[in-house]
Amino acid sequence: MDGTALLLSLKLALLTVAILVPAGIIVARLLATHEFAAKPFVEALFALPLVLPPTVLGYYLLVAMGGHSPFGRWYEALTGHALVFTFHGLVLASIIFNLPFAIQPLQRAFEGIPEDLRHAAACCGLTSWQSLWRIELPLAWTGLLSAVVLTFAHTLGEFGVVLMVGGSIPGETKTVAIAIYDRVQGFDMTGAGLMSAVLLLLSVAAIALTYWTSSRHRRRHDHAG
Amino acid sequence: MNSHCRAWHRACLVALSALITGPVAAADAPLVAAASDLRFALDEVAAQFARETGGSVRIVYGSSGNFRRQIAEGAPFELFMAADEAYVLALAKEGRTVDEGVLYATGRIALVVPEGSALQLDPSLQDLASAAAAGRVQKFAIANPEHAPYGRAAQEALTAAGAWDAIRPRLVRGENVAQAAQFALSASAQGGIIALSLALSPGVLGGARYVTIPENMHRPLRQRMVLTKRAGTIARAFHAYLQQPAARAVFTRYGFALPAE
Amino acid sequence: MTTPAEGLSAELRQERPIPLAAALACASGEMLALVGPSGSGKSTILRAIAGIYMPQRGRIDAGGETWLDTGAGVRRPARERSVGFVFQNYALFPHLSAQDNVIQAMGHVPPAERRARALALLERTNLGGLEARRPARLSGGQQQRVAVARALARDPKVLLLDEPFSAVDQVTREKLYEELATLRRDLRIPIILVTHALDEASMLADRMCILHRGSTLQADTPLGVMTRPASPLVARLVGVKNIFEAAVAGHDEARRMTHIQWFGTTLEAGHAPQFAVGTRVAWSIPASHIVLHRRDRPSRGERENPVFGQIVRCVLMGEMTAVALRVVAGERTDLYFSVPTHVARRNGLAPGETARVSLLSDGIHLMPAAAGSAAATA
Repeated sequence: MDGTALLLSLKLALLTVAILVPAGIIVARLLATHEFAAKPFVEALFALPLVLPPTVLGYYLLVAMGGHSPFGRWYEALTGHALVFTFHGLVLASIIFNLPFAIQPLQRAFEGIPEDLRHAAACCGLTSWQSLWRIELPLAWTGLLSAVVLTFAHTLGEFGVVLMVGGSIPGETKTVAIAIYDRVQGFDMTGAGLMSAVLLLLSVAAIALTYWTSSRHRRRHDHAG
Repeated sequence: MNSHCRAWHRACLVALSALITGPVAAADAPLVAAASDLRFALDEVAAQFARETGGSVRIVYGSSGNFRRQIAEGAPFELFMAADEAYVLALAKEGRTVDEGVLYATGRIALVVPEGSALQLDPSLQDLASAAAAGRVQKFAIANPEHAPYGRAAQEALTAAGAWDAIRPRLVRGENVAQAAQFALSASAQGGIIALSLALSPGVLGGARYVTIPENMHRPLRQRMVLTKRAGTIARAFHAYLQQPAARAVFTRYGFALPAE
Repeated sequence: MTTPAEGLSAELRQERPIPLAAALACASGEMLALVGPSGSGKSTILRAIAGIYMPQRGRIDAGGETWLDTGAGVRRPARERSVGFVFQNYALFPHLSAQDNVIQAMGHVPPAERRARALALLERTNLGGLEARRPARLSGGQQQRVAVARALARDPKVLLLDEPFSAVDQVTREKLYEELATLRRDLRIPIILVTHALDEASMLADRMCILHRGSTLQADTPLGVMTRPASPLVARLVGVKNIFEAAVAGHDEARRMTHIQWFGTTLEAGHAPQFAVGTRVAWSIPASHIVLHRRDRPSRGERENPVFGQIVRCVLMGEMTAVALRVVAGERTDLYFSVPTHVARRNGLAPGETARVSLLSDGIHLMPAAAGSAAATA
């Protein structure tokens, strides 16, 4: 059981959620409340990581962030180390490949809020932030929960992009998914099996939690009024 | 709602700052990029090194060609132990290393045949050639010749035995020689050509059998190691240790031939 | 010149996506009803006044402030206007209790006083004891009251109600009418009520503004609009059924009367010197100003515009009977009025029977004839 790798995976997942979900809330709300000509393209862009093979994503991230890219070189000049093969590079990659998992459930939830509620909030004198915090987020909480849980679980399980962008550096970029792969190559089936079981349990728990809360929420609303 | 919110906000901020402060493990343990054939042998040497000197290293196993690319792109390895000196020399030419490195071992390949396989343990690979031609082989594993030296050696040996064309459509290519060993020893393949060091490693073969393939059937696997420009004290100490008798004894046990020194 | 108690004035103009050509004004303490069929733009105008819809061009002044002036680039969003808005479906925040819903509008009130004031408002709207309930556990009528309380919690300069009674049943509706009538007595702000129900508007509002396809056609007291519609279109929109065409026969300055010629009958109408003798005019009369002549006894108004005709329809509708009386056979001259059913029976009103009515001259209203076809087309 590679405790370091598990801890690293958890850190990566939590950090991704902490950065992506708040940004996702802003973006999702904008998309839900505005119509503009380029909207379908913007939505398609955010949905890309859902359909792109992870290796394609990994390839483009390497090209964009790698030691030869302008962005990579700028980052290295600024901080002293490369973006690829580091935890920070992983976080950046993780934020990008989780975009649809954070944005889509939130956008659906915001779209489900009747427009008149926002108008009522405005007529009550609430600012846009107050409306978001007091009215819209509480009503969109199932979408928020889905976004958090899906982003978390998806990050835990991501392999292809992590391997390409991070390498397999213990303590830095060797996440649980990579550790399992490595264990199998090292003929340590017990170790691999243990970590796989842990990941499986975490994923099942995450998905079950999402479905349970959203069905409870639906049932409560069916019974009311 | 207000006081609850504030407490929650504060907790989140604390957690977030704890997360952002860098990676988890000790930042000073140097990174070693090692070819997959060294997997069990090097673990032993590293353990010994830790016991004797107290210094620890973090080893990442993979294919030599892959590491060569990563180091060229700035991966933070301090010591590179390749299974083919060509990769080391290339990096030296690109100015990524302190020198041209030093030979630490010569590797050998072995034919492995799992239990119940139709193949015979023929080191000349003639049995394999005829089995392949007769269609008695479904899957045969080697490492990917594109970037794994042991895969390249396997291809050379198969070509020398005249079995390459027949076996080629049946090949399963491992990412590196350790993965090739995985495939070869699984129930889904009839056998494979892997590193001798892996065949000799405890717990790997299981019920399978192996035979060393003659050196004259492939170009020598001259395994070269080199310190990168990033190498610190511990890496240098480890690099020196690997050339000492204690380490060399371990290599010998795992079937490596040592350079005459 | 400008006092905080000033009323509301609004002028809106646009071609797309919804055509608007509206001008209205509402004084403090007055209730103006915006009436029109669906699609006439009444909700859009209300939302424009609230600030949740921005028209292309216009000007809105309320309570001494300029909320909208497209010419000068002033476009205050809703949250910066002090409006109270009651939505058709109430738009209550479903996750908050009634009291918390009301508190949301109290950003301008010191935090310590908010709960108490919210409770007081809920008491005022007859919701005492229900403040902790969420909207899902309130009836339609109760939800409407919360919506009104929340609108008032803003201490608004204008109160806007968008068909607030359409979602409740008749019994609840009448109770709510009464409550609104009581509530508004204490309000010193302009109140605008949007509705498609004429009777509701007549009952509650001081003035009525008739809308058709985004244009404000006429604004007057309900009685004024019904008895003095500005055009046959307005007359139709307010449900006046008796619209006909006639020719101006002459004016009588001394008696302040104008005579019109309607299919061989000369009628006396109120003085309307703006129509030259000989012009064709449209004229209307509300059903309330048609008086049936009793068979046995002559009525007091017999002298006034007596008209004789044949009953073509006689529909019993509970306590009242609706009658259509054709004055000239073969022509569109049906006069619609209703009488109490017992009167209908006692006078033997039935299709085919003849009857005599008086048209009260102060109810006969002359309008410019509709361009093109006859005024009586529906």
